[in-house]
Amino acid sequence: MDFEITPEQQQLVESVRAVLGRECPTALVRDIVENGSAPEQPWKSARELGWTAIDVPEAHGGLELGFAALGLVIEQHGYFIAPGPFLASVTQFLPLVREAGSAAQLARFAAPAAAGELTGALAIDHGCAAEHALGDALRARRDGSAWILDGERHAVLDGDRADEIAVAARVDEGDGVGLFVVPQGAAKAQRVVSLDASRPLAHLRLDGVRVEPERVLGTPGASARALGRALEHATVAAALECVGTCQSLMERTVEYAKQRRQFDQPIGAFQAIQHKCADMFVQVEKARATGYFAMMALAEDDPRRALGASMAKAAASDCQRLVCKEGIQIHGGMGYTWESDVQLFVKRAKTLEALFGTGTQHRKRIADLLEI
Amino acid sequence: MQLHYDAETEKFRAELREWLAENQPTVAEMRAEPTTSSAHLTSWARRWQRRLFDAGLLVPGWPPELGGRNLPPVQQLVYHEEMARIPVMRTNNPQGLGIIAPSIHDYGSDFLKQKYLVPTLRAEIAWCLGMSEPGAGSDLAGLSTRAEVHDDHFVVSGQKIWTSGAHHADHCFCFVRTDPDAPKHRGISVVIIDMKAPGIRVRPLPDLLDRDHVDFNEVFFDGVVVPRDHLVGPLNQGWSISAGSLAHERGMMWLSSAAQLDGNLERMFRLARERGPDGKRIGEDAVFRDALASLYVDAQAIWFMGYRGFAKFAKGNISPEHSVLKLFGSEVAQRAARVASEAQGVDALEVDFHGWGHDASSDELPWSLRYLQTYGATISAGASEIQRNIIAQRVLGLPRR
Repeated sequence: MDFEITPEQQQLVESVRAVLGRECPTALVRDIVENGSAPEQPWKSARELGWTAIDVPEAHGGLELGFAALGLVIEQHGYFIAPGPFLASVTQFLPLVREAGSAAQLARFAAPAAAGELTGALAIDHGCAAEHALGDALRARRDGSAWILDGERHAVLDGDRADEIAVAARVDEGDGVGLFVVPQGAAKAQRVVSLDASRPLAHLRLDGVRVEPERVLGTPGASARALGRALEHATVAAALECVGTCQSLMERTVEYAKQRRQFDQPIGAFQAIQHKCADMFVQVEKARATGYFAMMALAEDDPRRALGASMAKAAASDCQRLVCKEGIQIHGGMGYTWESDVQLFVKRAKTLEALFGTGTQHRKRIADLLEI
Repeated sequence: MQLHYDAETEKFRAELREWLAENQPTVAEMRAEPTTSSAHLTSWARRWQRRLFDAGLLVPGWPPELGGRNLPPVQQLVYHEEMARIPVMRTNNPQGLGIIAPSIHDYGSDFLKQKYLVPTLRAEIAWCLGMSEPGAGSDLAGLSTRAEVHDDHFVVSGQKIWTSGAHHADHCFCFVRTDPDAPKHRGISVVIIDMKAPGIRVRPLPDLLDRDHVDFNEVFFDGVVVPRDHLVGPLNQGWSISAGSLAHERGMMWLSSAAQLDGNLERMFRLARERGPDGKRIGEDAVFRDALASLYVDAQAIWFMGYRGFAKFAKGNISPEHSVLKLFGSEVAQRAARVASEAQGVDALEVDFHGWGHDASSDELPWSLRYLQTYGATISAGASEIQRNIIAQRVLGLPRR
């Protein structure tokens, strides 16, 4: 049992912090939100520095450093509320291709995604993602050796800009899960006005989209396990990004409490403020420790991985709820303004809370797994 | 980073489990002679602790002559994990073993070590800890029990309160004011007081659970003479001993709290299968399910946070993780017992229970009493408010007033 970050991992974390600290100031995120800009960074660096290849086997051009290393990098992306394709492509699209794809599909999709030459997205049903299930909104039926997709998917992160979209659809056979990869353009993608514009969501409409066999991942009707395992990766990554965002917002809030003076003293000298800050610290520590447990469970393929993933998301949920609330409250009127960066962090955290199952949904899943 | 222990550590765990299965006291033994306070060394409790001492399994990080086997930190962690999971405490005088013995070891003179250390470890003598006073609770450094300093003795007068097991203890490890003129942290010393000395009166202070359940006491000192050689550490340096002592206690204390909470969650999983006031299975209720899942996450998180802080704990330092674990652990435990008690409705109001003691009978403690009991942990050893102050000021660097 060792929760200590290794020296190599610490070095990685520090290099990621240095790069993101330089290339991803909040002004960059604000520019996306206010002007719809599409900055090249920090994605370009992520690609060049090999962050996209961290959890990909060497055989497919990856670095094979494991999910623990990737989780730590994701946490830092959350800390800097980094925009760009990293989260969707590396922690959502890639795991599904890895879990379900054939060698040829890994070569076609995973290797270029690991190199950052191709970006991916994942279209699943967020409403029942915690249960690893799919609703009826998108169905796939056989058409000879090909499959036809009909229906829609909501809240697909990067769904209108990723090169390839991995799609989970209901099928009428076996375990009911079919997995497919469709290129951008095959579905009608409509960008929605997203709470966090630096995490842009799209609504996808698939009207009789035909998928040829080479784009079918695994065997439709025998893909529930692969979907579940990929969802665990995406869920833990979202939880860890959320932890990073909460850490950042907590630090900003504590710093503000030290600077802001009222009644001739910093407001941070008041016990009412101090206790809110202490409670934020406890929640961030709890969410991080739980996220690290889940991250290791995935890295080691431990039997507790499903439970761990749901615990990580539930803990991150508790954490963001408190840190967002007190983050705004302690900033007072400034925290309520558009100009303050507080809103950027709050919107990122709230977005991550909703994706891949809310805390409430994951607690329900935990209760099921524990057979309460 | 890894979730698993290495093979050598797991081998130690297996051996320890085997040893415990053969050597731990039986439930029948414990029920025949219940322990009623945290300094009540019954005959089975003395035998048990002595067996641990002789086997080098009492303080495993210490050398064999002090009841250990020089175990490396990771194996100490495994030791405490296993000890927390058996239905008997490793000692029936936790303050004696957990706080006072290490303090004598670290700060005591050769004379005091000779006289008290091994007998304490072998459960030949029991201790109480004289810290809190009516006027010095959270503000411990404000204590006012006086020890007049004479050439070869002290004369102690004053009052302690919340003194666990004082009615059973042989000695008191007592924090006293030896310099009333110095700033409050710099005028405190530690002396060892014989509880049979003339001038000591002990008044039991039953807790809110049961009039017959006495662990706390008030202890009154009226001109009690203490030999000069019973001073622990240098004169007026007692405050640093208090910090050091509590570090020993807290370094591993989270493990037993975490294991206790796990035990309560196990009981809640059983409760979920029972019928609630509406005749339905309690576990079918969506609100209860959500609450229990949330508690499960928090209870697991305590272990994960403890493991994260472990490297620091192993060095014996007081670290912020202690405050986080103490604060969070005690509040989660309180929430657990409240949720369980509320789920029982009026059934929780039946509290016919007489099985006090540190034995397996605690399974029968009603949830409503268990809930009230949890306030012990949010108040004692630094109330939750004090822990929040520590986190805010020492970890987050917010200004002290």
